Amino acid sequence: MNAPLPSGGLKELVEKTVRLSLACGAEEVEVGVSDSVEFGVDVRMGEIENLVEAGTRSMGIRIIKDHRTAYAGTSDLSTDTIERLIRGAVRRAELAHPDPCSGLPEPPASPIDPSSLDLYDPAVSALDPRTKIAMAMETERIALTDHRIGNSHGASCDTHEGCSILANSRGFQGEYRKTFIGLNVGLQAGETDDLAEDFWFSSKIHLADLASPEEIARKAVARTVRLLNPRKVQTQRVPVIFDPQMTAGLLGFLFSCLTGTAVYQKATFLAGRLGRRICPETLTVVDDGLLPRGLGSSPFDSEGVPSQRTAVIENGILKTYLCNTYAGRKIGLPSTGNADGGGVGPGNFYLSAGSFTPEEIIRSTPRGLYLVRTLGHGLNPVSGDLSRGAFGLWIESGELAYPVSEITISGNLGEMLKGVEMIGDDLDFFGSVCGPTLKIAEMQIAGRS
Amino acid sequence: MNIFKDRLSLGPAEYEDVLGVALSRGGDFAELFFEYRSHTSILMEEDILKETAESVSLGLGVRVWSGEQTGYGYTNDLSPERMRKAARSAASVALAGGEAKRSSALVPGRSLSGIYDQTDPASRADLVRKIELVREAYDACRAFAPEIVKTKAGWVDLVQHVTIANSEGCLVSDVRPMVKLTCAAIAEKGTVREYGFSGGGGRTGLNVFAAARTPAAIGREAAEEAVRLLEAEDAPAGEMPVVLAAGHAGVLIHEAVGHLLEADFHRKKTSIFWNKMGERVGSDLVTIADDPTIPASRGSYAVDDEGTVPRNTRLIEKGVVSGLLTDRLSARILGRDLTGHGRRQDYTDIPIPRMANTYLAAGPHDPAEIIASVEKGFYAERFTGGQVEDSGKFTFSVSAGRLIENGRLTRPVKQATLIGTNVDILNRICMAGDDLAFGLQTGTCGKEGQDVPVNDGCPTLKVSMMTVGGRS
Repeated sequence: MNAPLPSGGLKELVEKTVRLSLACGAEEVEVGVSDSVEFGVDVRMGEIENLVEAGTRSMGIRIIKDHRTAYAGTSDLSTDTIERLIRGAVRRAELAHPDPCSGLPEPPASPIDPSSLDLYDPAVSALDPRTKIAMAMETERIALTDHRIGNSHGASCDTHEGCSILANSRGFQGEYRKTFIGLNVGLQAGETDDLAEDFWFSSKIHLADLASPEEIARKAVARTVRLLNPRKVQTQRVPVIFDPQMTAGLLGFLFSCLTGTAVYQKATFLAGRLGRRICPETLTVVDDGLLPRGLGSSPFDSEGVPSQRTAVIENGILKTYLCNTYAGRKIGLPSTGNADGGGVGPGNFYLSAGSFTPEEIIRSTPRGLYLVRTLGHGLNPVSGDLSRGAFGLWIESGELAYPVSEITISGNLGEMLKGVEMIGDDLDFFGSVCGPTLKIAEMQIAGRS
Repeated sequence: MNIFKDRLSLGPAEYEDVLGVALSRGGDFAELFFEYRSHTSILMEEDILKETAESVSLGLGVRVWSGEQTGYGYTNDLSPERMRKAARSAASVALAGGEAKRSSALVPGRSLSGIYDQTDPASRADLVRKIELVREAYDACRAFAPEIVKTKAGWVDLVQHVTIANSEGCLVSDVRPMVKLTCAAIAEKGTVREYGFSGGGGRTGLNVFAAARTPAAIGREAAEEAVRLLEAEDAPAGEMPVVLAAGHAGVLIHEAVGHLLEADFHRKKTSIFWNKMGERVGSDLVTIADDPTIPASRGSYAVDDEGTVPRNTRLIEKGVVSGLLTDRLSARILGRDLTGHGRRQDYTDIPIPRMANTYLAAGPHDPAEIIASVEKGFYAERFTGGQVEDSGKFTFSVSAGRLIENGRLTRPVKQATLIGTNVDILNRICMAGDDLAFGLQTGTCGKEGQDVPVNDGCPTLKVSMMTVGGRS
C-alpha cells in the first residue's frame, strides 16, 4: 500500500499505468497524475493561527472498453492499489451500457508549448515561508490601523506549485507545471450587533503580479466600511449595477448554462439558441485557456485536447457551447478544450470590457442598486431564474447614497442578458471567471413592504 | 480490525515515533489523523448506465499546537520518512524552537456503538445490486409523467476508516459508512422547463432503501417536483408571514443558528452570538440542539475527528442561548467542555467546530392549525440550501412552495430566496408544529473550504414576518 514510487518517477508511472490497463483488457485508457506542494499561513490579530505545509500526489484513470466507460482515482500510488483499481475498472466498464459518444479524443495535430503560457514562476517556488508569513501579517496590520475596523477574520497567504502529467493510449503525452500565490484579508466593522463584513484578495501565477499588502488591505477596509449602518429599502423594480466581483458571479452562472453537458441534458435555458441573438451587440463573452499567466490557463485540458480561445457570445450572438469531447459528440460540436475531470470547466471565462467608466455607469442611474455582495444559492440553470440575498449601495440621483442590506434581488438570466445597458472599462483578471462593471436595466428587489 | 495495522503494519509504536517528531521543537500538543477512504459512484442518464467510478484516498494529517497556534502537515505517502517529514512540517509552528516534549503512552479510547447499521454495508455489496437500485429510481422518475424529458440518477457510497492518536495518550478508531442515492428530473411543457430533485441515504447500508424511502419513491418525488413547477407562478416579493415545511426547512436552523454557535466564531468574537450566552435571542418555542449520535443519520459519527466521543448538545433552550459546539482548540481557549464537534473534510484539513444533525425541537401546534392561522402568506416547502455570515444575516433558497390564502394552501410557486437576520427571525417564530422531521439525508455543509455531511430537521414553523425574494 505504501511502496515507494517505482524508480524513474511519475512520467514513467503514468506510461506504465497506460500499458498495464491495456494488458488488463482496456481498449482505450487515459491516465493523469498531479503532484503538488502547498503552503498556507493564516494570521489573525497579529498572530499566526495556522501554518500548513504539505505535498500530495493523486492519479486519475479512465478506461473504455467496447464504448463503455469506467473511472478510477487514487492518492495511493502503489503498484498493488493501481493494479487492483484497473482490474476493477475494466470489470465495471463491462457492466455499463455502450455509448457511441464515449471514447478518447484524437491526438492533437499541433500541441501548445507550455512555456508560451508562462504558468510557472520560480520566484513563487522559492519564496521563503517567513516572507509569506510576513506578507499576511502586514496585510492584516495595515487593515487594522483603520479605527473603523473592529475585528478581523484574519489574513492568509497561500502558495501552490503543481505538476500535471497526462498520457493516453492514443499516444498523447503532455506535462506542465503551474504556480499560484494568493494573499487575502477578511474584516468586520461596527461596534453594535449591526456588523458589516467584507474582504479583498489578490491571486496570481507570478509573484511580481501580486498586489501589495497595502493595496489589498486598503481595498478590504474600503469595501467593509462602506457597508456600515445599512438600510432596508422597499420592494421595487430598479436598475442594478454589478461590481466586477458580482459580474464574475453572474458569469459563473452563465458558464453553467453554456456547457455542452447542460445542453444535452436539457439542463439550461440556452439549449437550442445557437446562432441566435441573446443579448445586445455590445456584449462579447470569451473563454480563453491560453491567456499568458492566466489563472485558468493550461496547455491542454484534462483529456489532452489543446486549450484554445473561444468566442462564446460574440456581439450578442450565441456562437458555441463549451464542450469536452463527450458533450461535443452528443450535440455535434467540436471539443473546445474545456474538459475538467468528467465535466466541463472554464479556462479564463470573461466578459470583454466596454467603454464606460464605473463612475459614468453610476452617474447614469437616477435610482438603483450598486450590488457588491450576494448571499445564498438561488441559481437555476434550467430556467435561468436567479434569486439571492443582496448587499450593496443605494444609488440616488446618480450617486452612491447609503448602504442597503437584508434585501433580495431576483430575475431571469435570459432577461437580464437582454437587459444589459452598459459595460464598464474595468476588466481585471482577478480570477479564472471575471468581468467588468455591468448595468442591468431592471431587476426585482424585495425588501420592506 | 484496523486497516492501518492490517495493511500498513502501523501501530502504537509507529504512532508514538511520529508524535515524538511532532513535539521535537517544543509544541505542546500533537495529533495524528490517519484516513483511508474508498468511494464508489454510479451515474445513469440518457436511459443508459453511463459510467461508474471508484476512488481510494489514503493519508495522514499531523497537527501540532504551540500556544494558540496550529502547525499542520500532511502526506499521502505513509512511509516512515514521509510521516516524519509531515510531523516536522507541523512542528515548525513552534518557531521559537523550544525544548522537545514527551508524548503520553497511547491507551485505546472509547467510541460510541450503535451509530451505524453495518448489517449490509454498501461498500462491500456487489455493484450489480447497487445498479438495480439506481435503475429503480431512474425508471420511476422517467415513467412518472410524459412531461419528464430528462432524468439523472446517481449513487455514491463510501467507507471512511480513521485512526486518531494524540500526545495526551488518546488512541481511537472509527469506520464510517455512507450511502446516497439522488435523482434529478427535468420536465418540459411548451417552452417552459423545470427541475426537480430528491434523494435519500445516510450512514447506513443498502437496507435503508427497503426500510425507509424506496428508490422508486425518490424517483417519483423528483419527477413530481419538476412537473408541479411547470404550473407554478413566480413567487411573491416582499415581507409576509412564512410557514416552513417540517423536515426540509431544517436548513434555516442550520444557517440562522447552528453556524453562529460554532465555538471558533466565539473564540474570534466574530459571531453576533459571542457575548449572548444566557441571553434571550428567540421566542419560547425555540429549542435547538445538535445531536451527532442519531443512529444511521448522515451527520452522525461514533467519535469525532479529534477522538472525542460526541454528545447531543443543547444550543438554545426556550429562546435562551445555552450552548456551543466545540472542537479541542476552542474548548481549551474558551474553557468549555468538549462536545465532540471537531470535524474535518479529510486528512488534508485542520479540524474545526462543525454541526452534525441540527434540529429545532417539536412544539405544541397542529400543522394544519398553523397553516389555517395565515390569511395571506408563503409556504416554503422544498429547499436547495442556504448561507449565513457572522453578523447573523442569512438566506436560504426555496425551490418550491405554495401561496397561503385565507388559511389554505393554494397555487404552487417557484424559486425564491428568503432573507433575514437571525435574532429577528428567532423572535418571530410564533408557532411550532408537533411534527419534527429531518431532511433528505443528502445535505453537505461547506465552511472554510471544507465540506462535511450533515443533516437537519424542524417541525412545521410559522415566522410572523419575513422577506420573500420572489419575482412578482
